[in-house]
Amino acid sequence: MKFDRRDFIKISGAAAAGVAVSGLGFDLSPVKSHAGMLKTRYAKESTTICCYCAVGCGAIVHTSKRGDGRVINIEGDPDHVINRGSLCSKGSSLKQLVENENRLTEPMYRAPYSNKWQTVSWDWALNTIANRVKKTRDMNFEKTNAKGQTVNRTTHIASVGSSALDNEECWIYQTLMRSLGLVYIEHQARI
Amino acid sequence: MSKSILIDATICTACRGCQIACKQWHNLPAEKTTNVGSFQNPQDLSFNTYKLVRMNEEIVNNRLEWLFFPDQCRHCIDAPCLEIAFDETAIYRDPATGAILYTMGSKNLDADEIISSCPYNIPKKAKDGTLAKCDMCNDRVHNGLKPACVTACPTGAMKFGEREEILAIAEKRLGIVKQKFPKAMLLDPYEVNVIYLVGHDPKLYSDYAVASANKGGLSRSVALRKMMGPFARMIRV
Amino acid sequence: MTNHWIDIKNSDCILIMGSNAAENHPISFKYVTQAMEEGAKLISVDPRFTRTSSKADIYASLRSGTDIAFLGGMIKYILDNNLYNKEYTTAYTNASFIVGKKFGFKDGLFSGYKKNEKGPALGSYDKSNWAFEMDADGVPETDRTLKHKRSVLQLMKNHYSRYDLDMVSKVTGTPKEDLLKVYKTYAASGARGKAGTIMYAMGWTQHTVGTQNIRTMAIIQLLLGNMGVAGGGVNALRGESNVQGSTDHCLLWHIWPGYLKTPRSSNNSLDAYNTKWTPKSNDPLSANWWGNYPKYSVSMLKSFFGEAATKTNQFGYNWLPKVDDGKAYSWFDIFDDMYKGDIKGFFAWGMNPACSGSNVSKIRKAMENLDWMVNVNIFDNETGSFWKGPGKDPSKIKTEVFMLPAAVSVEKEGSITNSGRWMQWRYQGPKPLGNSRPDGDIIIELGHRIKEEYKTSGGVFQDPIANLKWDYETDGVYDPHKAAKEINGFFTKDVTVKGKLCKKGTLVPSFAWLQTDGSTSSGNWLYCNSYTEKGNMSARRSKKDAPNNIGLYPEFAWCWPVNRRIIYNRASVDPKGRPWDKKDWVIKFAGDEKDGKYVSKKWVGDVPDGGWYPLENPDGSKRKDAKHPFIMRKHGHAQIFGPGRADGPFSEHYEPLESPVKKNAFGSQRINPTAVVYSTKADAYANNDPKFPIVGTTYRVSEHWQTGLMTRPQEWLMELQPNVFVEMSEELAKLRGIKNGERVNVTSARATLECTAIVTKRFTPFKIDNKTVHQIGIPWHYGWRWPSTGAEESANLLTPPAGDPNTRIPETKAFMVNVIKL
Repeated sequence: MKFDRRDFIKISGAAAAGVAVSGLGFDLSPVKSHAGMLKTRYAKESTTICCYCAVGCGAIVHTSKRGDGRVINIEGDPDHVINRGSLCSKGSSLKQLVENENRLTEPMYRAPYSNKWQTVSWDWALNTIANRVKKTRDMNFEKTNAKGQTVNRTTHIASVGSSALDNEECWIYQTLMRSLGLVYIEHQARI
Repeated sequence: MSKSILIDATICTACRGCQIACKQWHNLPAEKTTNVGSFQNPQDLSFNTYKLVRMNEEIVNNRLEWLFFPDQCRHCIDAPCLEIAFDETAIYRDPATGAILYTMGSKNLDADEIISSCPYNIPKKAKDGTLAKCDMCNDRVHNGLKPACVTACPTGAMKFGEREEILAIAEKRLGIVKQKFPKAMLLDPYEVNVIYLVGHDPKLYSDYAVASANKGGLSRSVALRKMMGPFARMIRV
Repeated sequence: MTNHWIDIKNSDCILIMGSNAAENHPISFKYVTQAMEEGAKLISVDPRFTRTSSKADIYASLRSGTDIAFLGGMIKYILDNNLYNKEYTTAYTNASFIVGKKFGFKDGLFSGYKKNEKGPALGSYDKSNWAFEMDADGVPETDRTLKHKRSVLQLMKNHYSRYDLDMVSKVTGTPKEDLLKVYKTYAASGARGKAGTIMYAMGWTQHTVGTQNIRTMAIIQLLLGNMGVAGGGVNALRGESNVQGSTDHCLLWHIWPGYLKTPRSSNNSLDAYNTKWTPKSNDPLSANWWGNYPKYSVSMLKSFFGEAATKTNQFGYNWLPKVDDGKAYSWFDIFDDMYKGDIKGFFAWGMNPACSGSNVSKIRKAMENLDWMVNVNIFDNETGSFWKGPGKDPSKIKTEVFMLPAAVSVEKEGSITNSGRWMQWRYQGPKPLGNSRPDGDIIIELGHRIKEEYKTSGGVFQDPIANLKWDYETDGVYDPHKAAKEINGFFTKDVTVKGKLCKKGTLVPSFAWLQTDGSTSSGNWLYCNSYTEKGNMSARRSKKDAPNNIGLYPEFAWCWPVNRRIIYNRASVDPKGRPWDKKDWVIKFAGDEKDGKYVSKKWVGDVPDGGWYPLENPDGSKRKDAKHPFIMRKHGHAQIFGPGRADGPFSEHYEPLESPVKKNAFGSQRINPTAVVYSTKADAYANNDPKFPIVGTTYRVSEHWQTGLMTRPQEWLMELQPNVFVEMSEELAKLRGIKNGERVNVTSARATLECTAIVTKRFTPFKIDNKTVHQIGIPWHYGWRWPSTGAEESANLLTPPAGDPNTRIPETKAFMVNVIKL
């Protein structure tokens, strides 16, 4: 990965004069003794493209190299020719999308007629889904239609999504769905 | 020499990227809000909100105007809050940037006195009396970056740079903007480092858009100093 | 977008209609603002005054669902005042084509109409009635003087002659002086060297006349010579970061990657399929690019099935499913079938249909009929948890639900394609949170398990599953680079193409190299050239502009097709290859000239839409080796007359399914006679009903996104827009006794939604045919799952069961409601 501005946000602090007053509006270190060091100074930088609207703004992600390895900061990429560093309210809040306590972090399963979720393993979830797909497909596979024309499809499984996937994911996903014989394949572009 | 920000309200679209970029950089928590019949939220600046885009609908010359005003600390050249506090461990000016900075020492000040001294109604206090407001992203500025809000702004409504340079841009922009908005003006450009350019009567944007008597908070000593402003500035520099 | 975001800065007049760019594509305003600083005019046309309107030179309001009337008036204005670019229109569009005698239009119906009693389409046309007249060689007859009474131009003139200011104003509710201001300002972009652009979005597509809304504007752009030029084009502002890419890769029922057709059941062999969908032109001046269709379809089949796809098995053509002729399998149809109990298994992958479709009560009810659902997302949503949503009793719902945690975009690597067709690579920052996984990993792993199931226990029609190529991993982990290379394509054996030896396994340089014999594999011909032996083009970062200095940045990322930044750019030059606009030129012919003739081929600027000679030599003589500029059209001409559309070759104003008027002022067809309308008992609607006297519409705001699933769990954004709201005029609020900030109920024929009232000057009542008509608007970003109070619900509870006949996109932008104080 190459950046036009490798040293973005790593410019050495103006050690003598700097005063960091940030966070909750105050600084825990003694006034005026604190070097002007950025919270992003020792972070890993990676570039991304905003995941909201389709303007395609560039952003820089600062990930902690220490501790939990999570995101410290996400801001507009000044070297991106479309947005030149700017971001709207949604783009500016990208960090809170990633580092969000409401996120799903485990596969979950809801059994028929149950009133709750239960945490399950990836292994179990994927094997069970594969089993369900096969069962529904095989029971309802149409080799020919009412006119006797070859159709090789199932109309008993449908898929919606997703423009939230990367291109490469979209492409492999549709190959999988089409090879299973799905014709009900739709996504956001239809609505 | 200090840094300045020009905020050109005539090209602000109220995308509010600045409002969130500020929270993002400073790690400020969200406030619990409700919609009170307006897009603007929160209703005012607070201990956790240093930047707020005010939004007002006004009829001007029989035409509807939706006016946007990204409000924040003006980083006054002669800052009444600093003068009133008279305690450099609580409120001080960074000589390198001109930013007026509040520290945790502000807890020991008379918060209400500081708040009422501000002609722009900016500083806000926590429950324990600690004061907070925009710090001009002083840490970023010292490291060669622009303040987070300026970086985020898509239209160029916010510009950051050396004061002389920003003043020159402001004057030039004013000339251009006046062709469309004859009543356009710069707000207190010689008193503050965060200079607003507005297209209409500043009162339509915010009660405190310009320093005015309706705040009435200038202490005598500050008022005196303001009167002899040029001289005061000279000795400070 | 035919153009791209940065190009907006080159415009002289920007019309924002059917979108609200300042709010929903905020960074686009960097370029709108730049254009305005260079003197461009900004026009905002919208039922309500938006943040976009606040920056506009001209604002005009119109009643939701009347855009064709508004724009039809503009066509009439342009024609009446001779403001169209005659040279451009004559040479590059089908304005000069002669339409056959069977074409006709009477009282809202084109010739060839047949009612459909069975539904959901209300009717259809026999489009053979709209065919062009052909000469003996099978080339369309033309009259380049445009005087023939059956020429497209004269038919158009006649068709839109009914759209005078009085009629338009009566229907749209727009004051006549506002109409004139918009028409005059926009039509000025037809002057030579001037460019006007349209920025539209779902405000145009989400109607029963959605496609024709856009066609009406396309006609205007063609008349004004605004297609192909810098600062012009027809620009759909797409709403999701990769909705362009997911459309290009065709996660849609009717198309295969690269906009190839999904085979119909009557296409009973690969040959029959290719013959059916490969257009033929007898005009030597028509490039007829789609004539290459079989190269793209065969290469795509090769990428599906790899070495298992051979000439003898038709490259696996019959392993892929076929759809029945004449039947649609769209979003609406999925949930209609699911509601009727015909769908048993369901993937909701990175989507939240329980809030995003129209009339979501029906969708939520339909889900109860499923045996199983797989819901892949980054947050729990109203879809995965539908069984415990409002009004649901989990003990009565049988559906098994698997909810799989996906990684956020910054936690994985891969590319997305923006609205300007730029494919951009992004990198991994942090690792996926907790046990979440990138979608690619989940898809690959699921594919392996399904393949394994069939391998170990057998099953029905296993060939496609067993033969599906599935080697997109490195060291057992999904590798997006491998998939990206597959999409670009490679040579499957050593072949000599264009006199050059191409080694087996090397990446195809561009789609011009693709073959019909299986010697090339390419997952999507449109993305050929994106990942070549020169590397990953989408990861490029050069900030150097092209020589024309109009912001193309040809070495920043990559864009389809073949890195052409402005499509139809051959129309940006006159027939001699000279730019209409000398300053902001896109391409120009730079070949050598001798004795008034071009003698060598060279274009500079953007990648030209084909590198052929211009149509004419400098001395005005016609060349025989040239091509017409609209190379994707069979006849090489842009279509003012569009005989392929389901609802007519010209647009016509029809009322929305639900509207405040009893009668369409333009004729006796009240609604689009080919619209789709669904009719289960969950599909109620009410037209011109005193119970629902107010026009309703839905939209988005800057601070949230789509169903809100990726913004509602975020406190910072909820701080900005905490509640679902309904915006209404001061007049309506007074009439209903509603105060600003109060909670109110909004009711349609389908449901009731509680909202916070925003009483605002930004909405004003309309005068429609001398009657006062009120309108309200609601953002559709909310749903019961977040915030966890459950108090904020989806505006799509209210929206209607009808859609566009061409796309089946729902009519969520115009419907009827009432507003009641709580």
